[in-house]
Amino acid sequence: MRRALWVLAPLVLLVLCGLAIALGPVPLGLAGVRDGLLGVGDANAIAIVRAIRLPRLVLAVIVGAALGMAGGALQGSLRNALAEPYLLGVSGGAAVGAVLAFGAGVRGAFAIPIFACLGAGASVAAVLLLARAAGGRADPRVLIMAGVIIGAFANAVIMVVLANAPPNTVRGAVWWMMGSVADAGWPQIRWLGAYVLVGAAVLLLMARDIDVLALGEEPAAALGLNVDRSARRIYLAASLLAAATVAAAGLIGFVGLMVPHIVRAFGIRRHRALLVGAALVGAALVVAADLVARTAMPPAELPLGAVTALLGVPFFLLRLRTLA
Amino acid sequence: MPRASGRDDFGGELPRFAIPPRRIVSLNPATTDLLFAIHAGPRIVGRSKWDLYPDSARLVPSLGDALRPNVEAVLGARPDLVILYASEDNRPAYDRLREQDVAVIALRIDRVEHFDRTARLLGSLTGNAAAGAEVADSVQRTIARVRDATRTLPRPRVFWRIWDAPLITIGRGSFLSQLVDIAGARNIYEDIAAPSQQVTFEDVVRRDPDFILVGPEGGQIVARDPAWRAIRAVREGRVRIVDTTLVGRPSVRLGEAALHLARLLHPDADVR
Repeated sequence: MRRALWVLAPLVLLVLCGLAIALGPVPLGLAGVRDGLLGVGDANAIAIVRAIRLPRLVLAVIVGAALGMAGGALQGSLRNALAEPYLLGVSGGAAVGAVLAFGAGVRGAFAIPIFACLGAGASVAAVLLLARAAGGRADPRVLIMAGVIIGAFANAVIMVVLANAPPNTVRGAVWWMMGSVADAGWPQIRWLGAYVLVGAAVLLLMARDIDVLALGEEPAAALGLNVDRSARRIYLAASLLAAATVAAAGLIGFVGLMVPHIVRAFGIRRHRALLVGAALVGAALVVAADLVARTAMPPAELPLGAVTALLGVPFFLLRLRTLA
Repeated sequence: MPRASGRDDFGGELPRFAIPPRRIVSLNPATTDLLFAIHAGPRIVGRSKWDLYPDSARLVPSLGDALRPNVEAVLGARPDLVILYASEDNRPAYDRLREQDVAVIALRIDRVEHFDRTARLLGSLTGNAAAGAEVADSVQRTIARVRDATRTLPRPRVFWRIWDAPLITIGRGSFLSQLVDIAGARNIYEDIAAPSQQVTFEDVVRRDPDFILVGPEGGQIVARDPAWRAIRAVREGRVRIVDTTLVGRPSVRLGEAALHLARLLHPDADVR
């Protein structure tokens, strides 16, 4: 069962990557795709493959892997099957940062993500402070409640800003909030990749701590773990992953929620393996969702966040039934 | 004027063509309409789904949205000139296309005067400079004629209903507000600088317009919904249905649109 994941997940991801390069609103044919990848022949095919489909695919892979890992780490350490960056207010904070920047007239692919990360950082700080004020300890229930409250506050801030923003900026912000990897470019990918590498490395190094935290706080403390400190670090690393993806691709929900469940369905419990599995499955999921988003009704594109939500909600209802 | 120094409205250099472009993608109802008027219509190989005028534009393949266009679909049309609307939403597509060495220009066409320079610019870019100037001059002449004809008439105060729920109207930044002015009337929201603005019903009642301008669909709402009867102009039957095919885009029919409004708002004056 476990071995099946390590064979299936990379295989499925590879096939999806191939499809993502081969398919799009402009039919290129296999020869066109090959030439485009090799950079020979028709300049138009080269541009479509190398400048549009390839960066888009790489961005989808990184975003999916980061969201999957963030979800896996949060669900484990908070012992809550509903935990994911969206529920914890991180994504909302990132969205506030970006929308405020839009409203203040900040433009450009480099500036907006920086403000999104600042917003995510502010909401992480607010959630941690709220949780400390309410419980004094890293109580998972208090953290999640604090996250929901901060998320609701973030939504309210966004609505106030948008109500008074000129139409041009509103449209941009709304589009970004629906999630998309359509504007993928290499500089942005390098930037996101650096953040994701840091966050992923921290989580993998702390995988043992997540295993222990997943047993419950008291057993974890009994096993000699500094529960407060470990939980906070895991939370911050997972938030970093989520904020970086929100900055690069907007709000893409339900990936962090679905992916850990899929990995656990293969019998994987230890978090080092679970995190690696979640990265693979998350990447495959976002690549597949983006494939649907851009080929379902060409030349129009569906918002990626809407596609993942359409997949995620039924999936989660099924999971809830089996959990109940 | 950005045009004079040879730059578009995103600050990019205007392309130079040894031979006029033969495959044009135009993603803006106003520029598509204009290209057909200056005889460059047959060279359009892609339009946005909103570009429906003139009728022949509907035969051109639609490449999707005009804001945040599908760059792959645009490249797939193999254009040698791409015309985008200069909205910040289009900046990513603009940069992406420039990186691929596709000639692309971003043009802001929100005002009557923007149309004039766009007509001349697209005329010279497509090698139809004379036609471009002719269209621009003809629109200017009609507008001047309407302005003259309404100069001495009383200026009724007008509320232009763009949308209900939320109630949206035009500010002085809109070409529609300019057309109202040319047609010898006053937009009751000309104090608002933005092209469009959400307003409250109460405030419209307070400003007490002489006329309500509304499209055909909105006209039915205004006639049926009792809430609108709070406005005196509605109670007294001064709702005028605007031909949205004329006023929908700041393009080649701007002159006709001004004439149409003048006739609606000055029915007794015989404006020609």
